Amino acid sequence: MNTELGDEAIEFGRQARRAIEAAGGDELLTAAVAEPATREMPAGPLLAGLGAWELSPRTDPDDAEAAAALCRAAGWWALPYPVAERLARPLDLDVDGLSVVAGPAPAAPLAGLELRWAVVDPDGNRSRVVGCGEPGDAFVTRLRLEPLDAAGAADLALALVLPCWTLLGMLDRALELTVAHVRLREQFGRPLAEFQGVQFQLTDAEVDRSGLEMLAKHALWSAVSGRPDAVEDALALRMAALEAAETVLRVCHQLHGAVGFCDETTLSWISRASQPLRRLPLGLSATRDLLTRRLGRRPLSGIYG
Amino acid sequence: MSHDLSAFRAEVRAWCADNIPPDWRRAQTGASPEEFVAFQRWWFDRLHAAGYAVPHWPVRWGGSGMTAAEQMVLYAELAAHDAPRLVLAFVGIHHAAATLLAAGTEEQRRRHLPAILAGELWCQGFSEPEAGSDLAALRTTARREGEHYIVNGQKLWASGAKYADWCLLLARTDPNAPKRHGISYFLLDMHSPGVQVRPIRNAVGDEHFCEIFLDDVAVPAANLVGAEHRGWQVAQATLGAERGLTMLELAERLNAGFGRLTAAAPLDDPVVADRLAGFAAELAGLRSLCRKLVEDTDAGRAGPADASVVKLFYSELLQRITDFATEIAGPAAHAELAKPASSGWESGAWLLDFIGSWEWTIPGGASEIQRTIIAERGLGMPREPAVP
Repeated sequence: MNTELGDEAIEFGRQARRAIEAAGGDELLTAAVAEPATREMPAGPLLAGLGAWELSPRTDPDDAEAAAALCRAAGWWALPYPVAERLARPLDLDVDGLSVVAGPAPAAPLAGLELRWAVVDPDGNRSRVVGCGEPGDAFVTRLRLEPLDAAGAADLALALVLPCWTLLGMLDRALELTVAHVRLREQFGRPLAEFQGVQFQLTDAEVDRSGLEMLAKHALWSAVSGRPDAVEDALALRMAALEAAETVLRVCHQLHGAVGFCDETTLSWISRASQPLRRLPLGLSATRDLLTRRLGRRPLSGIYG
Repeated sequence: MSHDLSAFRAEVRAWCADNIPPDWRRAQTGASPEEFVAFQRWWFDRLHAAGYAVPHWPVRWGGSGMTAAEQMVLYAELAAHDAPRLVLAFVGIHHAAATLLAAGTEEQRRRHLPAILAGELWCQGFSEPEAGSDLAALRTTARREGEHYIVNGQKLWASGAKYADWCLLLARTDPNAPKRHGISYFLLDMHSPGVQVRPIRNAVGDEHFCEIFLDDVAVPAANLVGAEHRGWQVAQATLGAERGLTMLELAERLNAGFGRLTAAAPLDDPVVADRLAGFAAELAGLRSLCRKLVEDTDAGRAGPADASVVKLFYSELLQRITDFATEIAGPAAHAELAKPASSGWESGAWLLDFIGSWEWTIPGGASEIQRTIIAERGLGMPREPAVP
């Protein structure tokens, strides 16, 4: 496997982060939450301008890396747009994006966008989205579906992997915000960063975040190479992403103190925006259960397999 | 259980059945601020008429003279019957009353204790932008001028301040003294000229926390509690005065909320059953710890770190239970975005409960402070290097 993204993908991610910042950065999310119908503008044209929809992550490994880097950049700003879901669109359906759903009441963060969506469930059944309910928290909405076929098994891995890259970007940001906060914030006559108890919490968070980053590269490579374990690798990534998100955001909130809950702080917005990524299509226990059932007694083949 | 306690339990149960409005959750979901306040006042009066609003107060001041054992039964039964929570009266009946009873003058008690029973609402003005965990670093000043103190500064995280009539205020009266020795404790009339309250919208979408701006506010010298410059000691003596019972109430409510969770959970799923069984065991432990803390506090034998153990245990368990409840609720939890006002930290709007649970490890002594107390005062570890 590749343990690093290519230079071009890294540079693309950097440009995307700057472009989103120039278009409003954190304010894009606050504006879209106030008025979900404004999700498309300016994020849609901005991403089109970056060439996002010309990427073909399902067929070109370099494009897959660029797509991952773009999702991570979008996560950094908690960009209120389903970048990963759009990039995961299947090759053989005439739709704008693909979301993974599970359970009897399928939902996804797709509210406020005039796009054509398909969904796939963990068994590979695909459906077309024919209607949405009222928008809930973080643009999550109930979906009305019309079954299409059972040919989505190969679509699943990338559609699980890319949203994890978005979540990774959110965790990158949460940690950066928190490191800055504890360096600045003084209590008991010194910066919080000087307390070993504070440092150790951040190191635990960083260990989880960096582990997630490596797994994200592995699962991306596995999905793009069409390896037989690609879905299991994607589920393992998702588990790691959910566990890391819990550790990282718990530490970041704790070290921000009460201000981290207030709309004045970016952390509060990022934390809320992370919720659908962490809950849908399946939360931690259900993801672990699904992975366990799919693997049975067989181990994951891992990077040397 | 003694015969008397059984009879008391039966009496509380009967009262709950007759008095808790069965549809209060629905009525309080999406309630306007006015409806919330009106309901809180109505519920307080109802409880007080039965002797259940301030069971911990001395009889002389309108309390019920209940034993600790009776109060534990009362809180357990109110929680088990899903009673609304006293949100607005909380600071008044607990912190303000404890402070007045322990350190107030007879005149201050006479002025405020009956008023609290008549609906006077209180908030706490302790934290500041630069003084959170390090509360003693507070900078709000109170300068003596004749028969008044002139107060200037800013207070933060004052829960319920937008509804409060009065505020428990800590302010620096001697800027030259070491930081814990120059602070005084005041009763501040929130309707005084120069007091401004700004609600802060939080991640759950409500505005319970507030900022208070104090601009040349004149506080009568008669509103000083305890000796001048001794406010830190007054606060230390009164902050933990009721911790046992208020934590017991919260633990009982969490237990009742957990019951509502398990009643609706897919228990035939072994993953769910396994996690819930683990939580059930932890809840049993938490409730026992709370009960022991109340009994030990009542008997004057509570250890110096016992309250910290309970707060840490509760905060972290609340976070984990609401997190898992959100998982079980699945996508539906994201559509459930209205939490009933007047409910507890386990309202059943699990996503909002989970986000709200995060604040529990921060106020009232962040978990880091509780851990330091447990290490130093409980386990006898050496203190952190001294800070001037």
